[in-house]
Amino acid sequence: MGGLLVEAVQIQTKDVLDVSGLVKRYGDLTAVDGVSFHIRAGETYGLLGPNGAGKTTIISMVAGLVPANEGTVRVAGREMTPSETEAKRIIGLVPQELAIYPDLTARENLKFFGRLQGLTGRELTLRTNEVLELIGLSDRAGDLTKKYSGGMKRRLNIGIGLLHRPALLILDEPTVGVDPQSRNSILESVERLSVEGMAVLYTTHYMEEAERLCDRIAIIDEGRIQAEGTRDELITLTGGVDRINLRGGGNMSLAAEALRGLPAVQHVDNDGAGLMLTVTDGPTALAGIVTGAGAAGMSVTSVEIVRPDLESVFLHLTGKALRD
Amino acid sequence: MHGLWTMVANDLRQRIRDKSVFIFSLIVPLALMGVLSLVFGGLGEDTVDLQPATVVASADDADQLGAALLGAVDSLQIMDVTIKRVPAADVRSETEASGAELGIIIPEGFSDAVLAGRAASVQLVEGNGAALETGVLISVVQGALDQFGAGTVTAAAGAISGLPHQDLPALARQAAAGPPLLTLTEGQAAAEQLSLRGTLVAGQAGLFLMFTVGFGVLGLLAEREQGTLARLRSMPITGGAVITAKAFTGFILGVVATTVLLAAGSQLFGVSFGSPLVVAVLILSVATAATSLTFVVARLVRTAEQANVAQSILAMVLGIAGGAFFPVQGTGFAATLLDFNPIGAFIRGLGISAGGGSLDDVAGPVAVMLAFAAAGVALSRFLPDRGAQV
Repeated sequence: MGGLLVEAVQIQTKDVLDVSGLVKRYGDLTAVDGVSFHIRAGETYGLLGPNGAGKTTIISMVAGLVPANEGTVRVAGREMTPSETEAKRIIGLVPQELAIYPDLTARENLKFFGRLQGLTGRELTLRTNEVLELIGLSDRAGDLTKKYSGGMKRRLNIGIGLLHRPALLILDEPTVGVDPQSRNSILESVERLSVEGMAVLYTTHYMEEAERLCDRIAIIDEGRIQAEGTRDELITLTGGVDRINLRGGGNMSLAAEALRGLPAVQHVDNDGAGLMLTVTDGPTALAGIVTGAGAAGMSVTSVEIVRPDLESVFLHLTGKALRD
Repeated sequence: MHGLWTMVANDLRQRIRDKSVFIFSLIVPLALMGVLSLVFGGLGEDTVDLQPATVVASADDADQLGAALLGAVDSLQIMDVTIKRVPAADVRSETEASGAELGIIIPEGFSDAVLAGRAASVQLVEGNGAALETGVLISVVQGALDQFGAGTVTAAAGAISGLPHQDLPALARQAAAGPPLLTLTEGQAAAEQLSLRGTLVAGQAGLFLMFTVGFGVLGLLAEREQGTLARLRSMPITGGAVITAKAFTGFILGVVATTVLLAAGSQLFGVSFGSPLVVAVLILSVATAATSLTFVVARLVRTAEQANVAQSILAMVLGIAGGAFFPVQGTGFAATLLDFNPIGAFIRGLGISAGGGSLDDVAGPVAVMLAFAAAGVALSRFLPDRGAQV
């Protein structure tokens, strides 16, 4: 995707999105339990959690698709409900499932949804052409979308959400089932939109996407926000320690004993094939560790530094892996 | 309203593009009409061409009433009749041998018996290939005999009342030769009934209307299945606008398909439904009634397959009960139910229109259809929403 689309969005309120105490129940099941967060203009906010964590339910309430049992959603100061229409003019939703008409062309799809957003005449034509350019479908704009590849459909799916230049773009797992090339293209577009001032609410269960795109991230599990902050803030929740794995031969018992005496080393495990160390600031301590292991009689053949990531954070907070 | 029309236009574009609406709303019913036209090609024809017929008869040349009877047969305007005179004993064998349509044996002294008020019997022998022509000839003979019978009755009555014996033949002759006291005048058998062919065309149009309006609710389910419903609900339009747009799409398709079917059926079957204005009002009314059912179906179903089944059941039940294939009548509560059937009301309305009825004359059927529509919409509000509704 190339070119720039988004104009500066004039939002009179500090937060484009303000979610407060959101609760959604389905019978006895509480799918969302007291979720609160806010997003400012130009900020990309990520909801990171495994499938079934409640991300899509939160999105559905934010987009006014379903009513909340408790709590409020305010978009640019307007309360969002399923019957609210003005607040819906400010958002652009990109659902997780493809939401395009297969018997219409890309241009017809864009124009149809553009009209529903209130665009008409020359403005509609101009923005349609802009979006087609942005998502790289200008040369295929007249083809029925049922003839498109999966990646092309995904790009159009996102383009429809951008057409009316929303202040808040809501992307619900936009890269699921997308080939690596299209995925990268989508991520680049989101980065660009954020730079241009659009607020983005992005849900994913891919840790790498959240780390790359999001200014702030909420870790969601079982309908609740387990933790929220920037990537680095979240990482500190794990204690900020790195793991260093040494592989090789020689006298590993002696090496383990020697390394335990180093100030940066907190813990050493010897599994017979190598040593696993828990250390503070692994990159800085690495040279001393390798030297110390060699001096103690271990022949080191490989070294691996494992830095804490959001996967580690999720594991630390919930006791289970992100993709469970 | 802008959003509503945008969605209707979009739906119509897709329906036209995927061609299914043409197949199920026009091609299938027209093909069915064509087949029925072939099967029931002569059904309800106003005129029938009678073939020439031969009558084998025996009668005394001097018998005046016998001669009058054969004269009545011979002078039929609607078919050519050849009378072959044979002796009474040969009538049966000659009728069989010659393949004649009818044999008539007028007894000797027939006139005297009638004029004297005595019983007399005319024997008829039907030909082996007894057909419509034979039935017509028998009817003519029966009609003449009925008139002669009036003479017999008159003579008998005169004798009983003590009139002079010599006056009885004159009275009997006068009664037998006079015009009938009671006459049956054939007019339009019933100004509020279509011909059988007209009923067939109207019924098929009404039946397939029920399928056509179903494209509205199918469109709603397609939106769910292809994920676009969620996106529509995130747009600045009301939830009611989405289902209203679907219903309106079905309504438009139904009106167009029914108009085309009636027009094409009229040409195929040579039927006229009367004033275009009255027919238009009837079409709009029945399409409104049928469309109201889509609101009910939208509440009851979750998938396109369920919608197809529900729509088919409703269409067949209402279509058959409304007389789409053959006339259906009931008594008591069943009759009331049948009267409330929009397809039945549609056919009745077209019958009135075909008979020259005006807008005032079709007020009854129109009221039934609009009441059905109101009931359908009201019912949909009370039914539990199983997921298709937005």
